[in-house]
Formats: sequence, C-alpha cells, structure tokens
Amino acid sequence: MLVKTRVGEYLVREDLYYTDTDEWVRISGDEAVVGITDYAQKKLRYVVSIELSRPGREVRRGEVIATLESVKAIADVYSPLDGLLVEVNEFLTSSPDAINKDPYGAGWIARLRVTGTLPKLMSPEEYAEYIRKREGSG
Amino acid sequence: MREVPLVELHRRYGGSLGEFGGWLTSFDFRDPVAEHLAVRKAVAFFDVSHMGRFVLRGGRVLDFLQRLFAKDLSKVGEGYMSGPVLLLNEDAGMIDDVMLYRVREDLWYAVVNAPRISRDFEWLSSWRGRLGFSDVEIEDVTGSTTLIAIQGPKALEVVEGLGVKEAGSLRILQFVENVEVLGGRATLVSRSGWTGEEVRSHGFEIWAPVELGWRIFEKLVELGVRPAGLIARDILRLEAGYLLSGVDFNESTNPIEARYWMAFDLDKQGYVGYEKLEARYREGVERVRVGLRFKKGVRVVPRHGDPIVVGGTEVGHVTSGTYSTYLERAIAMGYVSSRYAYIGGTVHVNCRGKLYEAKIVEPPFI
Repeated sequence: MLVKTRVGEYLVREDLYYTDTDEWVRISGDEAVVGITDYAQKKLRYVVSIELSRPGREVRRGEVIATLESVKAIADVYSPLDGLLVEVNEFLTSSPDAINKDPYGAGWIARLRVTGTLPKLMSPEEYAEYIRKREGSG
Repeated sequence: MREVPLVELHRRYGGSLGEFGGWLTSFDFRDPVAEHLAVRKAVAFFDVSHMGRFVLRGGRVLDFLQRLFAKDLSKVGEGYMSGPVLLLNEDAGMIDDVMLYRVREDLWYAVVNAPRISRDFEWLSSWRGRLGFSDVEIEDVTGSTTLIAIQGPKALEVVEGLGVKEAGSLRILQFVENVEVLGGRATLVSRSGWTGEEVRSHGFEIWAPVELGWRIFEKLVELGVRPAGLIARDILRLEAGYLLSGVDFNESTNPIEARYWMAFDLDKQGYVGYEKLEARYREGVERVRVGLRFKKGVRVVPRHGDPIVVGGTEVGHVTSGTYSTYLERAIAMGYVSSRYAYIGGTVHVNCRGKLYEAKIVEPPFI
C-alpha cells in the first residue's frame, strides 16, 4: 500500500486526515494525534519555538492548541475536533525543529480523546488537491 | 511588482519567492538557517539585484554629492566604496543609507535600498534642479543589471574560481572595474558585503550585465556554493548590528538617535539636513537605538513593535529581531527612552504577551 504521495516538494501521507488549516490527524479508535503538515512546516521554515496548551482540558474544534514561532512567521495550531486534550509533545519545547525534521512523526503536537462526533476532515487526495490549488494560485 | 532579472534561476534552484521592496525575490532557498550558517562558516551567495543602482556622471558630480550626503566624500579614493552614507531630509530625517562608489572624479555609482529606489531617485533629481546641477546626469540602472554577493570565509577561493584574478589583492571596500569573469565583462567586483565585520573582509560583490549574472549564478551552484535568501541575510545583518532602512529607521528617525555614527559626519557642513542634525546633537535626543541580547537558549523571535519594558513601564520598542541559531539566542535592536539607555542594563521585552529578559548591549552581536 502506498502511504506517501508527493505534491511538488510536499509530502502528504495517505494514512492521515487533514484540515484546511494544515493540520494532520491520525485517528485510531477514540484517540486522535495531531500535528502540522509537511506543507505547513515548509511554508513556516525553521521553527524556533512552540507554546503548547496545558493538557487535561476540553477543547473545541478550531480552538488554538499550540502556537509556533518560526524565523518567518507566527502560526496557531488548531484542534481539528472536539475532544479532551490528553497529552502534548513536551519534547518540542526543547527541540521545536523536530516539526521541520519529522512533521508526521517526532514532530507530533497533541493527543486528544475524541468526545464529540467526528467532523468532516479532508482525505489525503482532497488535501493534495488543496495544496495544488494554493500553489497554482500563487 | 517587478521581478529580479534572474528570477527564473531562483525558481529553478528552490527559491521561495515573495515581495520585498516592490521586487519578487527569494526569501530563502528552502533552508534559511543552513544558508545563514553557510555564510558564517564557509560561503554562500545572494542575488541582491533588487537593490537599487544609480550611475552619476558629470564634471561636478562630487560637488553635487557633497551637498546631499552626510559624509565627506572627497575622502573616498578612486576605486573605493564609501561605506554606508546617509541621505537626510531638511529635518535631518533619514531618507536612506547609500553605498557610493567612486569610479573617477566624474563618475560615481550608488547602491540604494530596494524600498527606497524611487524616493532616492526623485530626491536626488529634485535637488539636482534646485541646486543648479543640471550638468550632472543621474541614471537608474536597477533591473537591467545584476548584483551578486558572495559571502563567507571561503568567498575568496570561490571568486578566484570564477576567474577573477584581482580578487585576492582587493582591500576592504575596494573595487575593480570592467573585470573579466567567466569570459564575460563584469561592471565591477568589490570586496564588500552586508553580512558582518569578520565576514565582510572576505565577502565580494559582483555587478554584472544580466546575461553574465545568469552564468555566474549557475557557475556558483555548479561549484557547490549555496544560494541564500533574504531571511538568512536579515539574520546576518542583525548579528552584525547593521540597520535596515525602513525597518530600523525611516524619515522620522534622525541619525543621532539611531546612533548611526559610521554613516554621517558632523565635522562636515553644508549638506541638506546638516543644521537640524547639528541642533539635534546639541539639544539631545529623546530616544536612542540599542542592541538587545536575550538569554542563551531562550527560543523566541522578537519582532518589530514589541514593547521594551523596565519595571512595568514601557520605555521603548523593538525595530527588528531574530533568533540566531549561530549564537543560540535571540537578538534584537530597538529604541529606548534616553533615560533608560543603560548599556549593560537589564530590560524585558514583551513578545506577544510574555516577558523575556534581555540585556542592553552595543552591537555587533558577533
């Protein structure tokens, strides 16, 4: 099974769901792991620091769960779903550039327990198309 | 928006393009941090063709320049660059810092900041009329030529690798004209840059026609020299403590408060803005520019406008800042109220609601 696809220089994994704010979500049972996509990290460039939310609280879809600061910009990371914030990746506090080096692995940002109904997320194909559209327009 | 003449090569070699000063050029070539380190430790090159370039001709060019620029340019030797020199308005506000090249008594080149090209050109042209220097010719050649900066401790061997035999004998800020490079003719090759004291002595800039600039760019890539973009350049110039026109100063900032000593001269008189400048020095200024050195290992990017705080009171603001992976700390410059401009003192900088400790220091940071 093909698990990766490339859109230009950007990697899209086939086993994940995506949001239109460039988060990825890995869902297994009622657990969801969240990070930012390869596209997002390449646009941000070198991540200098990350501010993580404190775990143990309920978050709503669209709520900020982390803020990244790169040499280029500041970017919020949004929760892709309603859930309980179970854990955040503390490793990133000392090594935020893990997000650049391994956005889909060591650079994961938060783990949530899904409490509401799953919202509509983008499939890998839809997300790939979403990248193409933005790249094409500029 | 205009495109830099070599924009196709930027695209080909992975440049992430964006707008700066009205030009489409590369912010990075995928890895600004590695590009920055390459300049500090080895070599990289920048296509800085977005910078404005003027040619000034005529028997009275020097007299004309002396009336407008805040330094004594008669001291600049033939075949040398002036270093940054300020163009002031009548109120002693800083229009731009400009690099002047004395080719001959009656032929000078000027390199100006991209966002200020039209302002500088109009300013010079209008004073040319007002002061009766109609015999002085000013031509804007930006866009029809390229400017490539090769920077870093290994720059000399690279420039020699391009066939520039004179490179090794050039002194800092010296240039040679009409130089053979890769079988073509470059307008000039200078020993200069904008990346820092310890590196500047090794850096070179090549001003060349577009066709030759294209070949130089490709040859450099072939030689394994990394192209670098504006983000790396901004980190380098901040480490070196250089001010960026339009960011660290503008027309409502005067050179005294900016402490831009290297770019003006109060011993010289008779240039536009001198009277006000002298008065500002005599009367004192309300705020001064300082360097801010954050604690080692604290990962934050201070940004333009972030407040500088002493004991809960806002005493100034940051004008530019970055996180330097080379220094492993954040650095910034900004303006603080003169009463609080204690070199060596501790302040706090409010970066998006969080206070970070910083020490007021005298740049450079490297």
